[in-house]
Amino acid sequence: MQNIKRTFVFIILLSPGILFFQDMSDLKISVKDTDDSSRIVLESSKSLSTSIEKSGSYIMVRIRADLPYKIQRRSFNSRYIESLGWSRGAGYYILNIKTSLAKFSYVSSTLKAPYRLVIDIMPEGTGEREKGEIIVESSSDAYSDSNKGNIDRGVKTIVIDPGHGGLEVGAKGKFGTLEKEITLDISLKLKEIIERNLAYRVVLTRDKDIDVSLENRAAKANNNRAFVFISIHANGFFRKEARGSETYFLNLNATDEEARRLAYLENNSSELNTVEGENEDDIKMILWDMAQSAYLTQSSQLAELIQNELNNLLGTLNRGVKQAPFKVLTGVACPAVLVEMAFISNPDEERKLMKSEFQNKIALAIYRGLTNFLKLNLQK
Amino acid sequence: MSVRQYAFLIALSVLLIVLVVMFFKCGEEKKLIPEPVTQMLDSEEISGEESETKKVFLFFLAEEDDLLHPEVREIKADAVVILQAKLVIRELIKGSRNGGISPIPVKTKLRELFITDEGIAFVDFSKEIQENQFFGSAGEIAAVFSIVNTLAYNFKSIKRVFILIDGREKETLGGHIDLKRPLLPRFDLAVNLPGSG
Repeated sequence: MQNIKRTFVFIILLSPGILFFQDMSDLKISVKDTDDSSRIVLESSKSLSTSIEKSGSYIMVRIRADLPYKIQRRSFNSRYIESLGWSRGAGYYILNIKTSLAKFSYVSSTLKAPYRLVIDIMPEGTGEREKGEIIVESSSDAYSDSNKGNIDRGVKTIVIDPGHGGLEVGAKGKFGTLEKEITLDISLKLKEIIERNLAYRVVLTRDKDIDVSLENRAAKANNNRAFVFISIHANGFFRKEARGSETYFLNLNATDEEARRLAYLENNSSELNTVEGENEDDIKMILWDMAQSAYLTQSSQLAELIQNELNNLLGTLNRGVKQAPFKVLTGVACPAVLVEMAFISNPDEERKLMKSEFQNKIALAIYRGLTNFLKLNLQK
Repeated sequence: MSVRQYAFLIALSVLLIVLVVMFFKCGEEKKLIPEPVTQMLDSEEISGEESETKKVFLFFLAEEDDLLHPEVREIKADAVVILQAKLVIRELIKGSRNGGISPIPVKTKLRELFITDEGIAFVDFSKEIQENQFFGSAGEIAAVFSIVNTLAYNFKSIKRVFILIDGREKETLGGHIDLKRPLLPRFDLAVNLPGSG
């Protein structure tokens, strides 16, 4: 009994410590040079969901993190690695590895118990190993798509995003029609038309009535290396008279100074990761949070083309192309628009939206707009 | 120790850990912005002498179009800008006096408001602002920018507005407009701005 008591007290004393470890996982980072490469090891008590991207003289490692990590790093001296920078977005960290090499290759691998992500960086041409990456683990569904293995380099992907879903019903009509239902119906129709007529792969951010976070919708587009992202919505307003169709692309909602930086990015979009400046971490933070900023010109073009076709086909009031800071668009790294087909809060338009015939027209209009956009942008 | 004692011990420790976890998690929920201490604002104690007034403009929707319309209102000209700003938001929540449509439910409460040196106003509303609203994009844009425009239009020191709900950052009000960063005003969504001809 004495034993039990003692253990009891011991557990009480220990509990806060256990909690602390649960909430703040460590992320240890170390850098070491080998004969022909520089090696970075990221070590964590939990396994990580990561993606790696190389651009210019940088490697960016994106680490999914629902909870904050305690990052441990030491100063280092390395032949090929110049600096490491951390930035944090909502639900993820980015590790920017700046190499001192203009041309390099890297190999990554993961080890278990404890989890380690190992990245070896070497000048291109030296070393025996082939350029590429081997990622053994990747668990979360937002960051690994089940179709990933099927991505054929030649076949481009269109991502369609049926607005709302699950508990997020969106706008609601007088007759009880919910935005989430209409958006899914039309998205499925659009998918079918595209697949029937074009050699494109179509991915939906949801294909049933479920909640999908706005960030995961963007992540799905980026993980599938989407060529175009189209979010489908039905509008709602306080006045039931409000009516018509409009197409949105992202409004940066940026101050002049930010706008200048982002404009720079737009002109250098192929080098998304290699921006340098007085405060690199800041810039990269904006950059990853607002991947869409690099595609605004194309997005506005896509919006115009879709809006034109909506006008031609639907006979609804033309409300034009507009801009607003839509959350779902900010993180999408390809041309992206949000289509507001008609007002579900307007009884006349709600009735139309419920009809299959009208839904087909909308899908066809968006399809035509998309096709025109593809024609203009495929030569590149 | 016998096997039974071990089993007892393990069961006990699991229970204990669960209890402690629950205890700490519950604690975390309360890490909100403290309750607003603004009661003094409503009493007359601040300025005993005759109070001066200031003309402000609140942005509401109108019957004839989908735009935001400024509506003039006199408020007490408190020397402290934050207190003025709070008054203005409270007036906005009360709604229009000229038959305008307010995109913000009357039951919404202003929990807190402060302004940073960089000119960002943080406005914290109670959850009623998004309850039973069924926002479409147009409605959500109107709700968000009636707040942002009202603050930015009336106070030079406010350049951008960060909307919080129940003391926390929210992704959006209803699935559309990004609330995770401070918003610039959108006067292009408004008409009949005083002084603009």
